[in-house]
Amino acid sequence: MQNIEQRSDKHESTFNNIIKFKSLLENQVYKKIAYILLLLFSVFLPNIVNNMYYMGIINYMILYAILCMGLNLILGYTGLLSLGHAAFYGLGGYTTAILITRYDFGFLPCLILSGIIALLFGILLGLPTRKVRGDYFCLLTIAFGEIFRLVAQAWIDFTNGAMGIVGIPIPQIFGWSIRTETDFYYLGLILLTFTFITLSLLVNSKFGRAFIAIREDELAASVMGINTAVYKIIVFGIGCFYAGLAGSYLAVYQTTITPSNFRLEESCLMIIMVIVGGMGSLLAPIAGVVVMTIATEYFRDIAEYRMLIIGVIMVTVLLFRPQGIFGTSAFKS
Amino acid sequence: MSLLAAKTIGKKFGGVIALNDVSLNVEQGEIIGMIGPNGSGKTTFINNLSGLYAPTTGQFIFNGENITGLAAHVITGKGISRTFQNLRVFPNISVLENVLIGLHCRIDVSLWDVYFGFVKTRKIEKQAREKAMDVLAIADLASRKNDLAKNLPYGKQRLLEICRAIVSDPHLLLLDEPCAGMNPVEMDDLAKFIRILQKKGITVFVIEHNMRFIMSVAERIVVLANGSKFQEGTPAQIQNDKKVQAIYLGDEGEL
Ligand SMILES: Nc1ncnc2c1ncn2[C@@H]1O[C@H](COP(=O)(O)OP(=O)(O)OP(=O)(O)O)[C@@H](O)[C@H]1O
Ligand SMILES: [Mg+2]
Repeated sequence: MQNIEQRSDKHESTFNNIIKFKSLLENQVYKKIAYILLLLFSVFLPNIVNNMYYMGIINYMILYAILCMGLNLILGYTGLLSLGHAAFYGLGGYTTAILITRYDFGFLPCLILSGIIALLFGILLGLPTRKVRGDYFCLLTIAFGEIFRLVAQAWIDFTNGAMGIVGIPIPQIFGWSIRTETDFYYLGLILLTFTFITLSLLVNSKFGRAFIAIREDELAASVMGINTAVYKIIVFGIGCFYAGLAGSYLAVYQTTITPSNFRLEESCLMIIMVIVGGMGSLLAPIAGVVVMTIATEYFRDIAEYRMLIIGVIMVTVLLFRPQGIFGTSAFKS
Repeated sequence: MSLLAAKTIGKKFGGVIALNDVSLNVEQGEIIGMIGPNGSGKTTFINNLSGLYAPTTGQFIFNGENITGLAAHVITGKGISRTFQNLRVFPNISVLENVLIGLHCRIDVSLWDVYFGFVKTRKIEKQAREKAMDVLAIADLASRKNDLAKNLPYGKQRLLEICRAIVSDPHLLLLDEPCAGMNPVEMDDLAKFIRILQKKGITVFVIEHNMRFIMSVAERIVVLANGSKFQEGTPAQIQNDKKVQAIYLGDEGEL
């Protein structure tokens, strides 16, 4: 018994360093410097890594970072549990794949439309939050996710069924052809920066505070003059918008998408990444993305136990840090 | 014209009649108290007034406008704020953010402004923070603005909840047993605070079990019993009323 306590003490102290690091970052000047250094590092990363296999892994991390930051807005800030996030990711993916292969759309309009379509469906699925309670809403999101996948599988004329859409051409933006892993890295970095900037504008406004208020105490939030029904719909739509962008990126990056890219398992993985990284602070989910991606890559040989490994990691992290690696104390319980 | 006129307010929960034909007026600028034994319907009355429930019968006329049955967030926007009997600050966020959320309906920023009106949004945010800090200063909480609300002592959390309610400059403030869990020193602070609010032009409606407190703060008192209005008068009249003493002695003998 004592042993366990000592062990957890040790972990506390490493985590205390993380906390010290965090409070250092609260200083505005240090924060700006940190952001600039981070951006410089990101821009020169391909020169440092210089290995296509690793760049590929980093690209998937960026993709999941975008997904998880959007999901964190819904789950971490507002406290709505959605297990259907992969469906919005898929809506974005199919929008881009279909428009680009069949209707000769440029990549940029595809990207924007993918975001918007995910946003509209997000709003649609957000509507029942007015009427149904949290846990039933979660069931609804699972159902939506499954329906999406089944439709993608069955509507062969439109989606090419289980075979998926293949041969998605090389995307171009303003004459820039995005071919290599490094090109895709920069495209991802631009999208991630966009995600970060737009999300931080949102969460630092009265909207962000309203989302947090809903998570903390919905009834009290409504008495503060917050139209909780409308805000929940807004937050759901906006969170899904980023999933649409990520789906669009996935389509052009993989050059093929199939319904199995958007299974329930994906939604679960995203939630685990957000929980492990930490809910309710903007960049924290990225830590979860990095840890989980590295772990699944490392254990690639025993891929059939992927979910088991993910589960073990999640339980281990949460044992020592209930709020996730960088999470806010709201989830400490 | 009264600031608020409640006309024959009734509320049934299934078979339970929680409120029965309660009529009362609240005048501009006064501090009005409401007392009554446990379960007499006091909380239910302000829950109906603040839009958490819709009354089964009757009407609330506020500033000459019928606000009966409007949604809670709409009623807050019209200038009625409240606190809760069982303390509902937002526990895991800072004191300052709590108060900023109270200011929500007075911050005129749209989603468009958030993304495309950067300068305007920033300016409004800065003003909001200043406003919130001013209110925290009145309650002597300014130095704790970055503490999480749940880390404040209980009495301070109660004050914070009031700050959160008044930062939006309401016409009418509803306090549901603000003294619960406070020690006598904190109660005196609270009494002072309520009088400051009155000077600032806020009308205060306060429900309280603590007789010493309510008798010293309220200028007029309404007594509820079993969901009906039982008596109304000045603190002195209520204190000397034999019938009021009887329901309290019969109930818990606190008077
Ligand atoms: N949501 C509800 N559903 C059913 N019954 C309710 C509900 N809210 C209140 N009641 C009932 O209405 C009656 C009045 O309750 P209320 O909470 O208004 O009393 P109160 O005067 O505030 O009492 P206290 O001094 O204990 O706070 C009680 O009998 C209570 O059980
Ligand atoms: Mg009560």
